[in-house]
Amino acid sequence: MATYKQNSMANEVDVSNVKLSDVIDIAFLQNFQDDFAKGVGLASVTVDPDGTPVTRPSSYIRFCRDYTHSTEIGDKRCAESHRKGGEEAARTGKPVVYECHAGLIDFAAPIMLEGRLIGTILGGQVLTGAPEEEKYRRIAKEIGVNEEQYVEASKEARILSKASIEAAANVLYIVANSMSNAAYQQMKLKAVVNTLNDSAHQISATMQELAASAVSVSDNQTELNSEIRNVNTVTGKIDEVMEFIKDIADETRLLGLNAAIEAARAGEAGLGFSVVAQEIRNLSADSKQTVGKIKELTTIIKESVDKTVSMGNSTTATIEQQAAAIEQVTASVEEISSLTELLNELASKR
Amino acid sequence: MSIQLVVFALGKEEYGIDVSAVNGILRTKKFAVTSIPGTTKVIEGMINVRGKINYILNLRSKFGLESKDKGEDSKFIMLNVDDANTGCIVDEVTDIVKLEEADVQSAPAYVCGVNANFIKGIAQIDNRMIIILNPNNILTFEDHATLENASNSILINS
Repeated sequence: MATYKQNSMANEVDVSNVKLSDVIDIAFLQNFQDDFAKGVGLASVTVDPDGTPVTRPSSYIRFCRDYTHSTEIGDKRCAESHRKGGEEAARTGKPVVYECHAGLIDFAAPIMLEGRLIGTILGGQVLTGAPEEEKYRRIAKEIGVNEEQYVEASKEARILSKASIEAAANVLYIVANSMSNAAYQQMKLKAVVNTLNDSAHQISATMQELAASAVSVSDNQTELNSEIRNVNTVTGKIDEVMEFIKDIADETRLLGLNAAIEAARAGEAGLGFSVVAQEIRNLSADSKQTVGKIKELTTIIKESVDKTVSMGNSTTATIEQQAAAIEQVTASVEEISSLTELLNELASKR
Repeated sequence: MSIQLVVFALGKEEYGIDVSAVNGILRTKKFAVTSIPGTTKVIEGMINVRGKINYILNLRSKFGLESKDKGEDSKFIMLNVDDANTGCIVDEVTDIVKLEEADVQSAPAYVCGVNANFIKGIAQIDNRMIIILNPNNILTFEDHATLENASNSILINS
């Protein structure tokens, strides 16, 4: 029982330990992200809850890749901006669209499992209108890049309506979340299947033990029955001996009677002998009484033995019923085992 | 004067025969009874006792009692009457008792009857009533006749 409980604990899925890579195939995500970015014209990258990227960036524009990220301050400000966006997304549980520190429009789509953030898809690097030169000169100064080139690069940013950005963020949000949630449910299913499988094995093993012990009980009972029948045979032999002793007692009694008759016929001379004859008859009567008592005892023994044998037979019948029941349970457990194997196969498919 | 009786049972009743008329008691299961053709039911048959032929009467038939197979305790009481080696089957020899002649009451004539003069009297010992038989009259004339006829025919034939 103790081992069974341990097993069931081991099989449980702890949502706080599930990582993004557990529920989404990163290579698939990379392809999807690359194609999406190319198709819609939005840069994107996926990060874990700490902000560490788990995919390579897709379709980053030069403005970001070659300038903003090129200085330490820029890189830090980017990371801070991403963190903020990610936090906001995690807090609301929905994709958010915001302006980054460098004045571009970005989005953050959270990937949530049971209300817990396991990753964020970040993206954007677009504008909703024509870039204001002054703003980018200021930012270039702040992060320490060439102002002219920075302004030039800002013009490469694609201009999209806010609604389009929101819709794109929403698509990523829906796909990533439904994928990871499906995978997570599958994980949970697999854990349950494993528990079920462990239990089935446990039951199977216990059933085998039960079956083995049923066989040994049955064997013992059969042996017991035959031993008890031996007692009956011996009792029968005692009865035979008693019959013989009774016969001797009868013969002795007859001897006593005949001796008494002879004594009577001898008249006065036979008086003494008639006393002896009487003693002989008394002795035979005692013997016969004793035989009767012993026979009563052997009868009791026989009755006891008969009762024991019939009880033994009913025990044997019960054991047979139990063995049949065990067999049925074993068959059912085997069926369950094969079902769990099937389930396990289904749960393991991605 | 005291007498001694061999007491035996036939059904529920107890009967007595004077010891002096008894030669001995045998267990029926030790002997095979050969029936004699042409005799009445009263003659059970004959047995061989130490090389001698003895004739056996069935007292149940003679007394008109319900017939019964020989049992474990059945005995032959061998009588010492008229020099004939004759015995009778009884259910069980129960006792040998000694009593005073005064304890014996003679049965009235209507009990003894014409055919039943084999009853000598009734002895009372505590609550027991013992029918005392007259051994000489147990074998009535008719029984004798059939027995003699039978013996003669066997002799002639042999």
